[in-house]
Amino acid sequence: MSVAPRGTAIVGVGETEFKRRSDRTIDDLILEASRAAIADAGLEPGEIDGFIPAVEHPNADQLALALGATRAFTSKPGYVAGAGTVGAVLTARLAIEAGLATNVLVYFGMKGSDEGGPYSYHAEDPAKAGFEMPFGWYGQPVYFAAWAQRYCHDYGVDPDDFASVAVAARAWAALSPGAQKTTPLDTAGYLASPMIATPLRSADCCLISDGGTAYVVTSLERARSLRRPPAVVAGVGVASTNQTLSAIFSQNPDLTMLGSHISAPKAYREAGVGPSDVDFAQIYDCFSISMILQLEELGFAARGEGVAFCQDGRIAPGGAFPVNTNGGHLSYAYIPGMNHVIEAVRQVRGERGDAQLARAEVCAVAGLGGNDHATMIVTADR
Amino acid sequence: MTEIRVPNFAPPTNLPLIAPFWDATAEGRLVLPACSQCGEWQWYPVEGQACHPDATREWRDVAHTGTVFTHTRVERGFLPSGSETPYVLALVELDGVVGPRLVTAIVGEGADTIAIGDRVRLTPTKFATHTLPTFSVVAT
Repeated sequence: MSVAPRGTAIVGVGETEFKRRSDRTIDDLILEASRAAIADAGLEPGEIDGFIPAVEHPNADQLALALGATRAFTSKPGYVAGAGTVGAVLTARLAIEAGLATNVLVYFGMKGSDEGGPYSYHAEDPAKAGFEMPFGWYGQPVYFAAWAQRYCHDYGVDPDDFASVAVAARAWAALSPGAQKTTPLDTAGYLASPMIATPLRSADCCLISDGGTAYVVTSLERARSLRRPPAVVAGVGVASTNQTLSAIFSQNPDLTMLGSHISAPKAYREAGVGPSDVDFAQIYDCFSISMILQLEELGFAARGEGVAFCQDGRIAPGGAFPVNTNGGHLSYAYIPGMNHVIEAVRQVRGERGDAQLARAEVCAVAGLGGNDHATMIVTADR
Repeated sequence: MTEIRVPNFAPPTNLPLIAPFWDATAEGRLVLPACSQCGEWQWYPVEGQACHPDATREWRDVAHTGTVFTHTRVERGFLPSGSETPYVLALVELDGVVGPRLVTAIVGEGADTIAIGDRVRLTPTKFATHTLPTFSVVAT
């Protein structure tokens, strides 16, 4: 029996158009994104032998059939959306290193603009239906608004300063083909953006997207023989906080502490790097507040200083520490976590055109899924 | 001044995990679940949850006063129905209850200017289907 090589890389990424009210099915969108990711890697669909639905849906059987591939390995990461999509790379790596699969396809698609939106799954939770919805405590903007309110109170932050996050995201989106929202946004535009739940404005909230996304993982050794430069998975950390998904938004003793304070040190340790070695970051931004909290927990800013860190264009195009260089979930598209992984790969491969960073060797990718979190360090092949 | 609303969205009536809470609010009481053996709060309650395997879930009366931990004024509601805006929500830490926070809506004078640390008191809102344990600001 041969020993599988250590080290994995992302070798192909694919995505569909992102928009509201797509008339296509999720399966159809995922199939297109998967074919694109496989072609990007320079592989044939039949060479994919591992399938990882990053979240629950859809199963791999129909996708494998449509691609003409045989499944040697199928597994779901089991983490909540934004953490599952980033953490899926760990499942892929385990399968590859164990010799269970060679080329693993990770995929996720959603139709956020379907009836009920991204909120609907919360209505099926007894605790939320019983103790939250009757009060109107429903929909992610409400939870994250309550977090932001407490955060601003604890650290003396002016909510208007969150403008820097939204403005930077929009500026990056303007440089990114395929971005869903590119209308210019400045600070005045941010302050004029309608309030959703104080202190969160519409511009603090992610987009609603229909679309499909996929990426292909293989061994680093094999990656070096493929057509594109490998995006090396240098470190991965996954974490689950000691809270249920029901309780995380209201009952966490420290309401604004996320799983990234656990996942980031794991990822750094494995990669042998620290925050000061990171050139840029792709950080899950379902809301501006969630990006800020992870920015701090990944060690780029001290606790309570994330918003100050982002002032004066620091995370925007031309800034010293670029974050979410395609516009993220605020302005590019909202396929939880996947948009961030794909952008990290494209930057380290040096193919981002107007948005390409001069230095894109080491990227931290952070994916939040309620009580779960995943951090991945992606590097150029050095 | 804009009128502050209160969402009218009835809780499910067929879930044993949550029914005691709503039975109590109908009587003007407030109860939270705890382990019958050691008294540890089980909030939110989870099926089969037990710090002591032989213990049962015991719903205990709690104080009708507390302190605002955080809050938000909702301008755009996402409930399927019954959520005319604006309404004001808060997480309240009840006096004598360490750990659990109650999600609630704030009604009456001062709701619109609520702040973290404000003292609040149970001020229920009665609907045809249920009594919502809303709170109001205690004047200082």
